Amino acid sequence: MSDNWITFTVDGREVRAPADELLLDAVKRGDVEVPFFCYEPKLGAPVGACRMCLVEIEGIPKLQTSCSTPVKDGMVVYTQTNRVKEAQNAVVEFLLVNHPLDCPVCDKGGECPLQDISFGWGPGRSRFHDQKRNFPKPIALSPLVAIDRERCILCYRCVRFSQEVAEDYQLAFLERADHTFVGTFDGRPYIAPFAGNIIELCPVGALTSTSYRFRARPWDIVDAGSICTLCPSQCNISFTIRDERVERVLARDNEAVDDGWLCDKGRWGYQAVNSGDRVVAPLVRDGGRLRPATWERALDAAVNGLRTAGAASAAVVGGQTTNEEGYLVQRIFREALGSHNVDSRTGGPLDKHTARLLSHPGLAAAVPDIDSAKCVLVLETDPINEAPIIDLRLRKAVRRFGCRLVVAASGPTALDAGAAERITFAPGTGEAFMRALQKALLKVDAPGDVRHEQPDADPAEGDADEAGVIGGQAQLAAFLAEHSLERLAEIAEVEVDDLEEAAALLTAAENVVVIWGERLGHGEGGATALGALGDLALVLGLDAGEGSGLIEIPTATNGRGLREAGCTPGLGPGLTDIEGPPGMTAAEARDAAGGDVKAYYLLHSDPIRELPEGERWDEALGAASFVVAHEQFLGASAERHADVVFPAESYAEKEGTVTHPDGRLQRVRPAIGHPGEVRAEWQVLIDLGIRLGLALEHHVSAGAVLAELAERSPLHRGVTLDEIGGRGVRWQERDQSRSAAKDVLGPLLFSDPAEPRTVPRPSDGELRLQTRPDLWTSRELEHAPSLDFLRPRQELVLHPADAERLGLARGDLVRISSNGNAIEAEVAPRASVKEGTGHLIEGTAEQNANALSNGLPPVVKVTKAGTER
Amino acid sequence: MSDRGILFTHIDEPGLQRLDVYERLGGYRGLRKALTAMSQDEVLKELEASGLRGRGGAGFSMGKKASFLPHGGIEKYLCCNADESEPGTFKDRELMHKHPHQLVEGVLIGAFAAGASHAFIYIRGEYEEEANILDAAVSEAYERGYAGENILGSGFSCSLVVHRGAGAYICGEETALLDSLEGKRGNPRLKPPFPANQGLYNGPTLINNVETLSNTPHIIVNGADWFRSFGTEKSPGTKIVSVSGNVKRPGNYEIELGIPARDIIYGLAGGPHPGRRVKAWFPGGSSSPVLTEEHLDLPFDFESMQQAGSMLGTASIIVVDENVPIVEVALRLAEFYRHESCGKCVPCREGTNWTVKMLERIDAGDATPMDLDVMASVQANIIGNCLCVLGDSMAMPVGSMIKRFRPEFEAHMERARIAAGALTEELHVPLPSEVA
Repeated sequence: MSDNWITFTVDGREVRAPADELLLDAVKRGDVEVPFFCYEPKLGAPVGACRMCLVEIEGIPKLQTSCSTPVKDGMVVYTQTNRVKEAQNAVVEFLLVNHPLDCPVCDKGGECPLQDISFGWGPGRSRFHDQKRNFPKPIALSPLVAIDRERCILCYRCVRFSQEVAEDYQLAFLERADHTFVGTFDGRPYIAPFAGNIIELCPVGALTSTSYRFRARPWDIVDAGSICTLCPSQCNISFTIRDERVERVLARDNEAVDDGWLCDKGRWGYQAVNSGDRVVAPLVRDGGRLRPATWERALDAAVNGLRTAGAASAAVVGGQTTNEEGYLVQRIFREALGSHNVDSRTGGPLDKHTARLLSHPGLAAAVPDIDSAKCVLVLETDPINEAPIIDLRLRKAVRRFGCRLVVAASGPTALDAGAAERITFAPGTGEAFMRALQKALLKVDAPGDVRHEQPDADPAEGDADEAGVIGGQAQLAAFLAEHSLERLAEIAEVEVDDLEEAAALLTAAENVVVIWGERLGHGEGGATALGALGDLALVLGLDAGEGSGLIEIPTATNGRGLREAGCTPGLGPGLTDIEGPPGMTAAEARDAAGGDVKAYYLLHSDPIRELPEGERWDEALGAASFVVAHEQFLGASAERHADVVFPAESYAEKEGTVTHPDGRLQRVRPAIGHPGEVRAEWQVLIDLGIRLGLALEHHVSAGAVLAELAERSPLHRGVTLDEIGGRGVRWQERDQSRSAAKDVLGPLLFSDPAEPRTVPRPSDGELRLQTRPDLWTSRELEHAPSLDFLRPRQELVLHPADAERLGLARGDLVRISSNGNAIEAEVAPRASVKEGTGHLIEGTAEQNANALSNGLPPVVKVTKAGTER
Repeated sequence: MSDRGILFTHIDEPGLQRLDVYERLGGYRGLRKALTAMSQDEVLKELEASGLRGRGGAGFSMGKKASFLPHGGIEKYLCCNADESEPGTFKDRELMHKHPHQLVEGVLIGAFAAGASHAFIYIRGEYEEEANILDAAVSEAYERGYAGENILGSGFSCSLVVHRGAGAYICGEETALLDSLEGKRGNPRLKPPFPANQGLYNGPTLINNVETLSNTPHIIVNGADWFRSFGTEKSPGTKIVSVSGNVKRPGNYEIELGIPARDIIYGLAGGPHPGRRVKAWFPGGSSSPVLTEEHLDLPFDFESMQQAGSMLGTASIIVVDENVPIVEVALRLAEFYRHESCGKCVPCREGTNWTVKMLERIDAGDATPMDLDVMASVQANIIGNCLCVLGDSMAMPVGSMIKRFRPEFEAHMERARIAAGALTEELHVPLPSEVA
């Protein structure tokens, strides 16, 4: 938006507006409403197709579409003249020529722009007495979206979404004139992760949700705003509730988070809330089987089990846990049980310094910074599977704002086609890659000075001392001097040329955003890899540039929030110090089963399915003396090993806060009451805590828990639910948090560089394994019937050369084995995969690749199924 | 009537399609002069001074349009609009079929004037033969060094490609042409921005008709003043008029703009068949409002046709005699536009098919005079409200026919009603399942 404001006249009133704002928006500032159908700024440039927004502009003979006309100083606009009214009447009449009179049976009725505009700007009667054109209707555009082509007014919105936002290019206009219809270009179903958005975009009832068909009229329902907690995108949503039942999820347009889009998982995942398979009462294991029990009994059993184990307990905190729940469970563990064994992360140990650096406001970027970034580095993450809305945001930046994308990952991503530079490094060599990139960056600048300065940056804004030197700089310089670029590139198995191209792109940009996947820090060497990431951020000068910074893609929805609420073994709430040595990570706690860890607290986590080396978790939980779990659905871990199961709330019932990966605190608000015996989980934890001896009685609401967290955590200092409100607030933007955080987070420092890990090359008949997440494998989706068709079968994605070498063809069933574990998968060759590496989906219900991963990218044996010796 | 011509002068020369024959008759002298003896600015000024107006229908000053393109090192394009699809227009076909090199030379001169480095001839897919002829001519031009890198050693480089359309009248609209050329669906774009600033691949683009560009070699060789010696002050030069319909000698005739329309219809084309009279005639293809006998003595040029309430357009005359029911003419016309509407904007898409349905009902005996009022109102609702002029191209002629021939419409309607016995028969409204 321009900073230059001008004055123009609309309907005789003088109005001020930013220069070049589109007239349709500008006249709103003068309280004038202009009707429109095809205008949607989120879809890019206006098309002017529907002609509904015609207005009269003095000096221009023909009426102009206000959606595409930029306002100029002194412009005189009329929207109420007879000429304009006649044109509006004409357009409405034309639209109703072929539009069927379906209102009584159309889902859109009551929330339909065509109805509203016909009523407000139409002639009132149609003079059309002929036969309307017909199409077979409704038909399934996809299993999720029904299309009624007779109702379609050809406003182009769905096609523009498909082509210019989601960039799946599947939807197109076919045929011409009044035979035009919307369809997929090849007639097959429209399958894309964002298909559901076209339902909300459609201004008529042409595109409707198959699951919401005939469910409710707008006057039957209420809306309840909340946050979708099915993935780290944490989109703002609105539940549609009828009779205390969630019937639908709509977007709640937050430009700072989701741009008003939702992915199909978020749009239909709510169905799990209504599933009959939910655990709705406490369960206690009796005679080998889990049976429903009273809350009293369940709480007692849990208290006994935990008290007996005492400090030999470990908590595994799952991704959908709220900040309040996480804060309470770590209080229980640390203060009541005397154990620091609380972990919410999938990866290895997290170094204190690194954790604080990666949360430092100086290095932080917000989601809207992606829009204005000149260059974005996407590091070891495939957003479309991990945080889909970020994928859309990146596409927007590339397509509309000329952002140059550098993608560096160990496997293919959906963004590869639009990337200016794409580098594939060997799995597990992220650290070596980052060191190599640092070296390449410094070659571009003058050698000697480790930090690459941003062109217009004010060094005083960063944490550099007066000489512009950040602590640890000399160490890093020495380390990099000892390692040749060629050697580092060799470890990462990348080309020096590509590194230099990437470095050039990054250096040339005035501001850079680095989107990094938390899985960069997985496995052995993960801690130092994250240290290398911090160094990379400082070398790039992300602290000194306006609009530059890091954005994390955690593996779990509230990964960042839980870390900052104290759910890591080495840090307390707000990343403060803890007393005594750090506790065990989840993996360490697993390995200590039966010895130093006797009891496990699984808070919304199913380690057998969701964490690496599920088989070892199975053994560990089996060896434990006591296991308590909070579950919405009984996962393998709870089913086989839990002694007590507390029913978990769904996100539609929960009250609490979560933290977006860019630091935005957001409110999860209850939209419906609790089913069955389900209680608020923060309340359950309070009860547990009180029984275990903590003074928690004053916590009468989730807000009270937040208040205590705000007191204890400098990052959350003074925050209230009111302040978070419906749009959320980034703690880095709060003065209170910033000043309180200064002491905890300390100055920016380079890390202590370590020798980057090398990974073995596979030999004959073997591949290196890299597990990858898939959007459709989360547990909830098994209980969302509409999304069932999207659940993937396990497939082994490998390079065609490897397939040939192993004697495999597409579709062959293979057995992949490692360390005594094996799974089966279908072969799917892809040329964009690095040779020597095979990719498997992690977290699937069957043939779960987590059974094979062991922290390191393991080397696995691949044989055709049924042919093993 | 003068028999001085410009474009058709050698039109029947055997072998004119070949470059050597064209050269022998003075071909490519214009290109040579422009590239080696004149600057880009001088060529532009000459074209502007000549007063050459677009021959594709809009009639905008060619030189002025070319001067809209920004100067500077950005990549610029020239598109020759050879998508001749206006009903009644077949002048470009003859020009391309018989005189392809005249066009090739004209395209290159136009490209030089605009500073374009890539030129495209977008020819309608139905003109398969002409496209092949042009392909051959372009190859010859490349071979001879008249196209490609460093043409005639002047330092000016321009590529030339012949691109075939795929059967859409809308692709004759300049912005739809650009989208089609880019490989997209042929839909018009919003203007502004205009192609001169944001055209092909978002670069500055000059788009001109075949006949317009074919004039440029002659203007360069003989000068702007010479060109102005033809035609009128406001409409200089000659025009190739395609005459069709109920006349003895339909065909293409090159005339000086400004001569009376009667001279063309009766003089050159022989007038209506014996015993018949001109009931109505379209001066500028089927998209122009219809005129009648009373207008036959008007000068045939841009201003006079406009003053009479019509337009010169492509200057393609369609003559309708009194044996042809006006309703049939209107229906045939409306069917064309309904078929060709791209469907992007509401008034054209719905208005064209509504108009066809009403005319069909009139013809079938199922209409009343109120339908005529509605139809006239529909045309008025289309005009000026559409994204491009295709909607207007139907609404203006149909509207004019209703205005000038209302009694005939009503009489037709009445006869049809009686013939159909509609007063006594029940109306059968087909169920959706019965409709294909």
